[in-house]
Amino acid sequence: MPHHMPAMNTTVIGRLNPITKIVAVFSLGLSALAWPDFTLGLIVVALLFVVSFMAHIQKDFAKIMFGFGIPVTVMLMFIQGMYSPKNKTVLLDLGFSQLCLEGVLYAAKVVVSLLVFLGSFYIMNKTTYVGSMVAALTAVGLNAKVGYLVLASLNVVPQMQRRMAVIQEAQSARGLDATGGMLSRIKAYIPLLGPVVLSSLTDAQERGMTLETRGFGITGVRQTSYVKVDWNTMDTVANWVLGIVLLAVVVVSILMRIGVIPMLITWGGV
Amino acid sequence: MRIELKGLEHAYSKTDKALDGVDLVLEGSEPVAIIGQNGAGKTTLVKHFNGILRPTGGSVEINGVDINTRSTAEWSREVGYVFQNPDDQLFLESVRKEFEFGPRQIGMDADTIARRVNEVAELTGLSKKLDVHPFDLTPTEKKFCTIGAVIMMDPAAVIFDEPTCGQDRSGNARLKTIIERLRGQGKLCITISHDMKFVTANFSRVIVMCHGTVLLDGSVNEVFAQTDILRRSFITPPPITRVAQGAGLKETVFTVPAFINAITKERNHHG
Amino acid sequence: MSAIVHVEDFSFKYRDTKRRAVKHVSFDVEEGSCFAIIGANGSGKSTLCNALVGLIPHYFVGARAGRILIDGVDVAESTIAELSNTIGLVFQNPFNQLSYTAGTVAEELAYGLGNHGVARELMIERVEAVAKLMRIDHILDKNPLELSGGQVQRVAFGSTFIMEPRVLVLDECTTQLDPLGASEIFDIVKQLNADGVTVIMVDHDMERVAQYADTVMVLDRGSVAAIGAPYEVFADPELESHGVQPPDYVPLTRALGLPIEIREEPTIAAVKEVLA
Repeated sequence: MPHHMPAMNTTVIGRLNPITKIVAVFSLGLSALAWPDFTLGLIVVALLFVVSFMAHIQKDFAKIMFGFGIPVTVMLMFIQGMYSPKNKTVLLDLGFSQLCLEGVLYAAKVVVSLLVFLGSFYIMNKTTYVGSMVAALTAVGLNAKVGYLVLASLNVVPQMQRRMAVIQEAQSARGLDATGGMLSRIKAYIPLLGPVVLSSLTDAQERGMTLETRGFGITGVRQTSYVKVDWNTMDTVANWVLGIVLLAVVVVSILMRIGVIPMLITWGGV
Repeated sequence: MRIELKGLEHAYSKTDKALDGVDLVLEGSEPVAIIGQNGAGKTTLVKHFNGILRPTGGSVEINGVDINTRSTAEWSREVGYVFQNPDDQLFLESVRKEFEFGPRQIGMDADTIARRVNEVAELTGLSKKLDVHPFDLTPTEKKFCTIGAVIMMDPAAVIFDEPTCGQDRSGNARLKTIIERLRGQGKLCITISHDMKFVTANFSRVIVMCHGTVLLDGSVNEVFAQTDILRRSFITPPPITRVAQGAGLKETVFTVPAFINAITKERNHHG
Repeated sequence: MSAIVHVEDFSFKYRDTKRRAVKHVSFDVEEGSCFAIIGANGSGKSTLCNALVGLIPHYFVGARAGRILIDGVDVAESTIAELSNTIGLVFQNPFNQLSYTAGTVAEELAYGLGNHGVARELMIERVEAVAKLMRIDHILDKNPLELSGGQVQRVAFGSTFIMEPRVLVLDECTTQLDPLGASEIFDIVKQLNADGVTVIMVDHDMERVAQYADTVMVLDRGSVAAIGAPYEVFADPELESHGVQPPDYVPLTRALGLPIEIREEPTIAAVKEVLA
């Protein structure tokens, strides 16, 4: 039967159930956080690069990871490396301050954990059609109203941009000159923001009521969706693996912290 | 006012050519109606008259000046444009401020603005609503507020995009008055409309567009006499005209008196 | 009682206006008929449409009197969503009728069915059928927010009648369409009507009203000024005093001294006879 969907990511990653992807974000992110040092997180980040290749989004993915990763790493390394209360071992004497190992290691862990969350979330976002996401969440019991809020709010921004463009057109036809420098453009458009926001709000209000005339908010009926979300063997396997990984990481981390297993990198330094 | 198009083309994308070689001269104060199906290129065409859209091929000249030499804001002194949706146009807190906005942008002096506000308010039926927030106007009043705001700038040509959309009888009567007033002042009025009764009652020249080209261009009588071409471009003449054509009257008529005249002539002819 | 819509002495005043939008309106609409509401702008037509589908009193706040029954159910005691099983409204502004949650026209059409829990297989079947009928099957993959006015109007219309309401309320539902598009929509309306769907239409095009309606109600400043068969209403010389003009065939046949006609074909036939 014909089935009309927007252009979607058809790679192995793209075909995963949205629930699996949400589970992955949490499982991988929490694992990186639970692990006592940065090593596990670093491995996961490397794995995410592999995943981004599989999903054919490696370029954008790399841009996000490096664009966010490098400045944050530098910033955190210096702040923690110089001012962390745990600091003992001096790596580098800058004169006005000293860069220490403990702070740098701590910063490394924070950065990789952030990158795991950011990277996995980005992959999920890039490879999942929002409609499928909401359909999947509704299928596991998410409230229809919450689902609507998620979808509608994602649509509001592009809609406002379109509207802003039309209103700009209409105002330039009334002599509003916006061809000068940045400053004159900003000055010219500030008065337009009001009507854009106002009309978006009234539209949203009218929309709310039209939705109810199409049965939105009806009680006692289990909602269905045009968007079909598959659950494949792949998803079952992935969810099990992700669950076991998280569990194992948490157990091992606890054992390391209470000293049953020796740590790979000791905070106190050599 | 003279608007001249030579081989005008506009392509939104490589595969989507909305205008495909339009040659036209619009001049004088004879009101012009542009008709045609949805997607025929009507709005794309008129958006070239004040530079909202720029030609992707051919040229547009306003009084001999190439459209590309000035910005839309600069052209707004010569060519006014009333958008189809009033909500795209109104953004100030009173009708009066809406009326004053355009003229101020183009540097009209305060006395002239004050005088024109009263004139235009009367013309658009908003004299008692000048201090009302446009948001609180009825849809009809909003439309007339946008029309007033454009006329306030005293442009030599005014473009209306579907002005009868959602109007009732009294709204249509007011539009008629406005079009007649503009013509009396020597302004060129160019209107896109689906409403054939409105077109035949107010416009002497009619341009039919189809697939991005001009299919017919002539007096309203000439155009509506071309029943075959109109049918092929999916245009239905107004009811009186259809009855006359259906009953086999030779003359193209749009009003009841004209119909009676034609029928009397035809009977005399036969008798 | 075969009236599927029963309006009894209904009045409503919006909270922020001084005047009542509708005053003491009573009428019945028989199941399977086509009922037209006409009147000048501001005469209360849209208010009445809002009341029929339950937006008044569940959405618009104000002072309300009288009652409205849809298939025997008091609108005030039901909910808008419940009523959508029986009665559907196609709004004047089609852009605001979009759900803003659908990535494709297909999803947009299916939206109401999803709310009512229609099984996916049936949903797809109906989406295909409605899209074909509305001539939007070539844009099913497109984003509804990127369509032209005429296309959105078709989608809005389709997304209402896909729910197969027993009563379809059309509030000037063709303003964005060219005459051909509008007549295509009304051909579909006529077919639905013939299949037993009750139609309540609000329109400014009197020739169209005369062509499709079995009953016409004239509203003037919120009150019922006239109600009856199209011929009775349109042939009445008093009609224009309520801000409404009859179809052009009426002044034409009147001026020719012929029996009054309200539709095109009989007018042509009558004129031909005069010429013969």
